[in-house]
Amino acid sequence: MVFEFMSRILGRKNRLGSKDLAKERLKLVLAHDRVSISPQMLERLRRDLASACAKYVDIDEAGMNIRFDSSDRSLALIASVPVIGSKQSTHTSKKRRGKSG
Amino acid sequence: MNGKVMVVTSGKGGVGKTTAVANIGCALAARGKKVALVDADIGLRNLDIVLGLENRIVFDLIHAMEGRCRLRQALIRDKRVQTLFLLPAAQSKDKDAIMPEQMKELTGELADEFDYVILDCPAGIERGFKNAVVGADSALIITTPEVSAVRDADRIVGLLEAEGILEPKLVINRLRPDMVKRGDMLDIDDVIDILAIDLVGVVPDDETVITSTNRGEPAVLDGASRAGEAFRRIAARIEGEDVPFLSMEAPGFWWRVKRFLGAGR
Repeated sequence: MVFEFMSRILGRKNRLGSKDLAKERLKLVLAHDRVSISPQMLERLRRDLASACAKYVDIDEAGMNIRFDSSDRSLALIASVPVIGSKQSTHTSKKRRGKSG
Repeated sequence: MNGKVMVVTSGKGGVGKTTAVANIGCALAARGKKVALVDADIGLRNLDIVLGLENRIVFDLIHAMEGRCRLRQALIRDKRVQTLFLLPAAQSKDKDAIMPEQMKELTGELADEFDYVILDCPAGIERGFKNAVVGADSALIITTPEVSAVRDADRIVGLLEAEGILEPKLVINRLRPDMVKRGDMLDIDDVIDILAIDLVGVVPDDETVITSTNRGEPAVLDGASRAGEAFRRIAARIEGEDVPFLSMEAPGFWWRVKRFLGAGR
């Protein structure tokens, strides 16, 4: 609240220019354009990835998030798979997020 | 003579392809090169009016291709820059009137006589694009700093690659330094970062492009036009010269004085 007020007084210095939004949106859409993968294929990939992970750890499948990222015309698949617990030591309370690129 | 065949393309329409072709072609010709500009936008002829040559068309690209006239009969010589020629598009036919093989033959024939053959590619990625690209050995991609134009440019990079045209060069058109300064327009580095291809020039958004087009005189012929200066530098870089990039700051005091005096006209 105070921060917001201060930054409003100090002018628009802290405002995120619309170009940053443009760049973020473009990068995301281009990554998907470049792989040209259909939503159906992407869904199959998501499901296969989930079942592969589920073999080793307990995951929260609903909280999974996968996307493509690109830099310098090369692509990366970024998957975020929330881990509820490991199969061996079954402590289930903590929710951790695992990231694999 | 074995000239360079260069296609100017963008994917998205309205980003300034035709203006770029007219200006870069004119600048190269003013440097003493023999240049043929080919309007490959069949059915939507425009390069002629941008160059101010619209009243001199007798034959067009299709006539030449079908053998109804000789190729040199269809070529219109520019009166201001003697080494600049235009091969106009047919206005009555559509894009399916030509086949890629015919286009390849035509550009090959032109490359025997000219230093540069520059093709103005139609917008889109269909038949017209294929026709314009097939005979080219290099490509210039025009974009503006807008999400839609950059996205389409990215698609074109991939399609050119599929056609065997590697390492296209990028022209960023209509950059507005004031908006860049405010953080409200993608800047040069953003666009290069996203597209990851080599930059050959940046053209500022400039009213003189519109006024010069109104008159049918490419902006490069106006010594005081900033866009014209940017296009002249692009031509120099195409020729292999190492020229510094135009300062994208708002025009300064001396610039306005020069403009007022009409220097370089």
